[in-house]
Amino acid sequence: MLEDALIPLSITLKVAVLSTCLVAVFGILISYALARRDFRGKWLADILVTLPLVLPPTVTGYLLVVLLGKNGAIGSFLFETTGWSLLFTWHAAVIAAFVVSLPLMVKTTASAISAVDRELEYAAYTLGHSELETMLFVTLPLAKKGILAGIVLSFARAVGEFGATLMVAGNIPGKTNTMSLSIYTAFQSGNDALANILVITLVVVSLLSMALAARFVDRWSV
Amino acid sequence: MGVKVSLSKKYRSRGRKGGRDDVFSLDVSFEVGNELVVIFGRSGSGKTTTLRCIAGLETPECGSIIVNGKTYFDSDSGIDLQPQYRRPGYVFQNYALFPHMDVRKNIVYGLKGWDTAKKEDRLFEMLRLLHIEGLEGRYPSQLSGGQKQRVALARALAPSPDILLLDEPFSALDMVVRMRLRERIKTIQKELGIPILFITHSPEEAISLADRVVVLHEGQVHQSGSPREVFYSPVDRDVAELVGVSNIFEDGDVVGNSPEGFVLEGRGMQFVTSSDVSGSDTVSWGVRPENIHLMAYDEGLLSDEGNVFAGNVLDVTDKGSSKLIAVELDGSNVVLFCDVPTRLLDEAMGSRVIVKIAAKDVLVFE
Repeated sequence: MLEDALIPLSITLKVAVLSTCLVAVFGILISYALARRDFRGKWLADILVTLPLVLPPTVTGYLLVVLLGKNGAIGSFLFETTGWSLLFTWHAAVIAAFVVSLPLMVKTTASAISAVDRELEYAAYTLGHSELETMLFVTLPLAKKGILAGIVLSFARAVGEFGATLMVAGNIPGKTNTMSLSIYTAFQSGNDALANILVITLVVVSLLSMALAARFVDRWSV
Repeated sequence: MGVKVSLSKKYRSRGRKGGRDDVFSLDVSFEVGNELVVIFGRSGSGKTTTLRCIAGLETPECGSIIVNGKTYFDSDSGIDLQPQYRRPGYVFQNYALFPHMDVRKNIVYGLKGWDTAKKEDRLFEMLRLLHIEGLEGRYPSQLSGGQKQRVALARALAPSPDILLLDEPFSALDMVVRMRLRERIKTIQKELGIPILFITHSPEEAISLADRVVVLHEGQVHQSGSPREVFYSPVDRDVAELVGVSNIFEDGDVVGNSPEGFVLEGRGMQFVTSSDVSGSDTVSWGVRPENIHLMAYDEGLLSDEGNVFAGNVLDVTDKGSSKLIAVELDGSNVVLFCDVPTRLLDEAMGSRVIVKIAAKDVLVFE
């Protein structure tokens, strides 16, 4: 019984932590580009990143299957060059979590970056610092609260991800059965005891991550 | 050596409330030495954009910018150095101190690649130069406006820039702090010998600070010269208004000579000026409000000499150290504004007054 709860917990944490790391890195870069750079097709990039926020997760999942499947644009390339099939692995769950939580990261981070006074960046330029250095030591530190909020939201979203994960990674016991999926399975099969344990664990994990984030925000306040 | 700027740029300026955006065209050129240059003009005259173009924060459409022999920008040869390679000392209007760094980190932020000991030396040198020793551990939020301004100056000067650019640096400071900082800037210019370009819309700041004034109006340089030249021989009406000549007579006639100079007639009044207007038939002229002398009415004072008029006081505005008095001259609808120091004000003066203007104070332009 305990193992039935621990395995989904470890899969969920693995998937959520990894996807949140990816979301943090790519989210910050995309947010910076959207907030500070002018480039062709910026509006399109903005829409593409935001889309998973408004699409039902099953639709997002379906589109991912189309892209990542053996016949899909990315999936077929991957299969032909490496012989590796992405679908129905925990990696696919990471990608699903990444795609659905990226808009949360980008929306909060981009608005936090936009709120940083541009004059401060210009001041750094006149003091001889490159755009990258300025981003790392001026812009991002000043936007850190928004960035952290984005990371927390993304992590929460990744932990709770259900629909898209089910579509691309399935619900394979011991491989891709995350907490959210396991709760559904346990509930469906009438295993209320397991469902209760999973639900309580999930609530505790969520509360812990929120509390941890709040502590960071406090410590970081200038 | 010095700064040679010639640039043009068109951009959308914020339209007036409810109105559409106007296309503003900036077309500025001036050449100045290693001196304290005040770029003077109203808000929206293109001062800040000019400064930002020099710093490399904005790009002109064409022209060239050369500072101390180094070409920052040249549209003909395609040179456009990034601000990182121009490294001007730039003091922003809102100071732009990094709020997450203390004063020490702010000041040494431009000293990239220096070793720690040299950085520390330079930090204390800057703190001393600007009289802000002891503030190095504070954060910008813990500083007063004047202190922030000094830190911003220290940060801009620390890397020994080739040029110092200041964008209305004192506009948010009170009078006393302002006066002290002005003196500081003057001393710094003398000590460092670099060109300093200082933006202001305050005539008082321009005259008290500048070695040279560049007057900008609606995107064009109207006059460039010593403060004396600009303030006492404005070249046109726009400059005259900007430097505070509030009594302006437009398109009057030159009607003859007098022992003191030339007689001008406009709006039904005759004025005598010592400026040379031979060769022109119509001119505009003006009188600074502080150059008008007011006396209590006395028939004996009226004479055939020029520039003595009788009039009635319409309005008095107290400006503290002086009073602004509006006088309507007899036999005309001309209202002169006179700025009279409160301590020199004739107590016996009633609503009837005599107005007297020296011929040299009738400034002719155009």
